[in-house]
Amino acid sequence: MDAFFSALQAILNGLLTGALYALIGMGMALIFGVMRIVNFAHGTFLMLGMYATYFIFVKTGLNPYFGFILASGFLFCLGYLVYRVLLRHMPVQSDFMQILLTLGLALIFTDAIQLTFGADYHQINLPLLAKNVHLGSHISLNAPWLVSFALAVVLGSGMYWFVMHTMIGRAARAIAQNPYASPLVGINVHRVQAVSFGLGVAGAGIAGGLLLPVFYIYPTVGDQFTLKAFVIVVLGGMGSIQGAAVAGLVLGVVENLTSLYWGNEWALAVDFVIFLLVLSLRPSGIFGSQRV
Amino acid sequence: MKRSELVIAAFCFAACLLVPLVVRADYNLQVLFRVFLFAAMGLAWNLVGGYTGQLSLGHAAYFGAGAYAMALLPPLGVPIWLALVMGIVAAVAFAALIGGVSFRLRGPYFVLATIAFAEVLRLVAKNLPNVTGGDVGTQVPSLFTHAISRSFYLAAVVLTAAAFGITVWVSRSKFGYYLMAIREDEDTALSVGVNTARVKLEALFLSAAITALGGALYGSLFLFIVPDQVLSLDISNEIAIVAMLGGAGTVLGPILGAVVLETASEIFKSVFHEAHLLIYGLLLVVVVMFLPEGIVGTVNSWLRRRRAALAAGARPQARRVSTP
Amino acid sequence: MPLLELNHVSKKFGGLIAVNDVSISIQPQEVAFLVGPNGAGKTTVFNLIAGMMHPDQGKILFESKDISQMSADRATKLGIGRTFQLVKPLRNLTVLENVMLGAFLHTSSTAEAAHEARQILKFLQMEDIANLPALGLPQAKLKRLEIARALATKPRLILLDEVVAGLSTSEALVLADLLAKLREWGISAIGGVEHVMQVVMRIADRVLVLDHGSLIAEGTPQEVVHMPRVIEAYLGPKYKEFVQ
Repeated sequence: MDAFFSALQAILNGLLTGALYALIGMGMALIFGVMRIVNFAHGTFLMLGMYATYFIFVKTGLNPYFGFILASGFLFCLGYLVYRVLLRHMPVQSDFMQILLTLGLALIFTDAIQLTFGADYHQINLPLLAKNVHLGSHISLNAPWLVSFALAVVLGSGMYWFVMHTMIGRAARAIAQNPYASPLVGINVHRVQAVSFGLGVAGAGIAGGLLLPVFYIYPTVGDQFTLKAFVIVVLGGMGSIQGAAVAGLVLGVVENLTSLYWGNEWALAVDFVIFLLVLSLRPSGIFGSQRV
Repeated sequence: MKRSELVIAAFCFAACLLVPLVVRADYNLQVLFRVFLFAAMGLAWNLVGGYTGQLSLGHAAYFGAGAYAMALLPPLGVPIWLALVMGIVAAVAFAALIGGVSFRLRGPYFVLATIAFAEVLRLVAKNLPNVTGGDVGTQVPSLFTHAISRSFYLAAVVLTAAAFGITVWVSRSKFGYYLMAIREDEDTALSVGVNTARVKLEALFLSAAITALGGALYGSLFLFIVPDQVLSLDISNEIAIVAMLGGAGTVLGPILGAVVLETASEIFKSVFHEAHLLIYGLLLVVVVMFLPEGIVGTVNSWLRRRRAALAAGARPQARRVSTP
Repeated sequence: MPLLELNHVSKKFGGLIAVNDVSISIQPQEVAFLVGPNGAGKTTVFNLIAGMMHPDQGKILFESKDISQMSADRATKLGIGRTFQLVKPLRNLTVLENVMLGAFLHTSSTAEAAHEARQILKFLQMEDIANLPALGLPQAKLKRLEIARALATKPRLILLDEVVAGLSTSEALVLADLLAKLREWGISAIGGVEHVMQVVMRIADRVLVLDHGSLIAEGTPQEVVHMPRVIEAYLGPKYKEFVQ
C-alpha cells in the first residue's frame, strides 16, 4: 500500500513540477516549434526571470507571486529587443548560427548576472513555504508548488488562447507556415516575430519567477532547463502549444517516478533517452503533424 | 592546396616542433598544448561539420571515449598503446550509433540529437561511480614520464599535423568531393551515385577517431578527468566554435580558429578575469553577426567574388534582350 | 528488349494520386518526351524512375532488372542519370568540380575525374567557365551544367526534367541538337516538358502525354498534336472540334 502512495505522491509532485515545465515548454514551442528559432538561451531567460523577481522582492518586499508579473513584462521587452536587434538578421535555415548566437547571449547574460549579484546561492523566505496541504494521511503537497501550479495553468491557458485566437497569434502561425506569402497579406513579419519571441521568452521568465520561492537561485540555474525545453517541445510535437503543455506535465511525472525508483541522478538521463526515442521512432511527437 | 603551399605548411609544423627550445615554462607549453589540441579537434570536427555540413554539438562523446579509455584500461593491465586504440574503437562505435540515428534527422534535430547522445554518456559516466569514478572523477596515467609539458606539446603538434594532412588529402580526393556534395545538396549527391548514408558515417568515423586521440592526450596530461569536463557540452561547443570561427570547410580555418580562440581565452582570463565568459559570449555574437563564414571563409568568399567579378568584366557580355 | 519499362506504376501522396497506372516502354537509343501541364505527374514519374521515390503499385524495370525499390544512388550506378526540374548546382563548387562529381562514379582519381569533366565541358561548349563557381551562373548555363554532370556518370538513360524551362528558343534548339547527339552515342533520353514545342517536334522519336497522373496518349509528335484527347486536356473540351 505504501508503494502505491509513494508512487501517487511522486506522480502528483511530478504534475506540480510539470506545470512549470509546461510553461517553459510552451514558451519554447512558440520560439522553436512555431518560429523555428533554436534558442539556446531559453534557460538563461528563465534565470533572468528568477533574478528579476528576486530583485523586486528584495528591494520592495513584493511577493514573488505578484512580482513575477513585472519580471515577465521586463523579460518580454528583453526578448523583443533581442529579436529586433540580433535574431531577425539570421536567415531561417542557419540553425547552427542561431545556436551559436543564443549560446553567446546565454554566456553574456549569465556572466553579467554573476558580476552583478555574485555567484553565491541565495534563497528567499516566505511564510507560505512552510505550509503543506494534506490529502489524507499519505499525501502531502507543498503549498508554493500548488500556487505556482494554479498560476501556470491560468497563464498557460492564456498563452494558448493568445496563440490560437488573437490576430498576432494567428499571424505568427501564418508566418511559420509560409514566410513568403505572409507579408503579402499585410503581416508585418518582423514585428509579429519579435512579439512572438518576446512572448516565448516571457513564458520562460514567468516560470523562473514562479520557481523562485522553491529553488535556490544562482547564475547558472537556468542552464538545465534549456535542453529540457527542447525535449518537451519535441515530445509534444513541433508547433503544438498544447502538445508542449502536455509533454511538460508528462516529463515532470516521468522525472519524479524515475527519481523515486532509480534515484535523482538518472532523471535527466531519462529525459534525453525519451528525446532520442521520440526522434527516432515518432519524430512528429505526441500532437505534432509536422515532418522532421 | 598547391604543392608549394604544402611545403610551407610542412615547414611551419617543423618550426612548431622546435618551439620548446625557446619556450621553456611549463605553463606556457600547456597553453600551446591547448592551442594545438583544439586545432586538431577543430580539424577533426571540420571533416563532418565543415566538409559534410553535419553540424554536430556532441563531439564530447568521442573526446570522452578516448579520455576514459586511457583512464580505465591501463589500470586493468592493458598496455597504453592498446588503450589508445580501444579509445578509438569505442569512439567509432559511438559514432556508428549516433550517426545511425542522427543522420536521418534534418537541421536542428540533428544538432539536438548529437547533444542528447553526449549528455546521456555524460550522465551515465556520472552515475556509475564504480566503473568510472562517477562525479568525482578518475585518474589517468601519464603517457610521458620525462619532460612532460614539452612531450605533450609535441604530441599535440604531431596530432594536429596528422589531422591537417588528413584534411588536405580529403579535400582533394573523391571522398572529399562526395562530402562537399552532401553538404551542398544531398539529393544531388544521390543523383550522381553517392551513397550518402555510408559516406556520412565514414566521415564521422574518421572524425571520431581523431577526436578520441585528442581526448586521450588531454586526460593524460591533466592526470584526472571528470565527466562534467571531458563529456560536457562545453567541450563540444569549444570544438565546434574553433572550427566555425576559423572557417568551417576550409583547411586552415580550424587551426586559425584555435589560435585565435585559445589565445583570446587566455588573455581574457588573465586580463578580464571576472568577466571573461562575458567577453567570450560577446565574441561569439560578433562572429555570428559579422563573420558567419569564419575568418578564412570570409577571406575566401571575398577572393572568390573578386575573381568572378574580374572574369565577368573581362568577358565581352553580349547584352541580350531576351524573350522566352 | 526495352531499355526501361514501367508496368502499371501508381504513386499516391496522401489522398492525391500523382501517377495512375502508367505503363511506359523506352527503347535503347530513343529520345522520348513526357509531356503534360504542371501537376500532371511528370516529375513524379522521373523521381520514381530515378529512385528518389518508390511506386505504391507496379514495377519498374531497367535493362530487365527490377529497380522498383532501388535507392537513387544505386539507380545512378546502374546507368540512369537525371537532372532536376529546379536545378541543383553545387553552388560553392566550380563548374568543373560539379561535373567531376559525376565523373567520380567511374574513377577514384581526382586527375582522371577532372580530365573526364573537361572533355564533357568542351563538348557542351562550357570550357570557358570551367573554373567559375556555380553560384551566380545564368539559368541556361546551369541547365547545361546539370546535363554535363549527369552525362559524366556515363548513363545509358538520362532523365531531363523540364529540360527547356527558362531557356530562350534559340537556347532550346541548341539543346535539341545536343539531345540528337546523345542518341548517336547510344544514350536514351526522356525529356519532360509542359507542352509540345519546337524542340519536341524536332527530335522526339516518341511523345507520351500525361494528364492528372494518367497516360492519355502516345505517338510521334505529329500524331500526338492532333489527338482530340490531348487537345481536350490542354484547351478543354470545346476545342476538340478544332482537330483536322
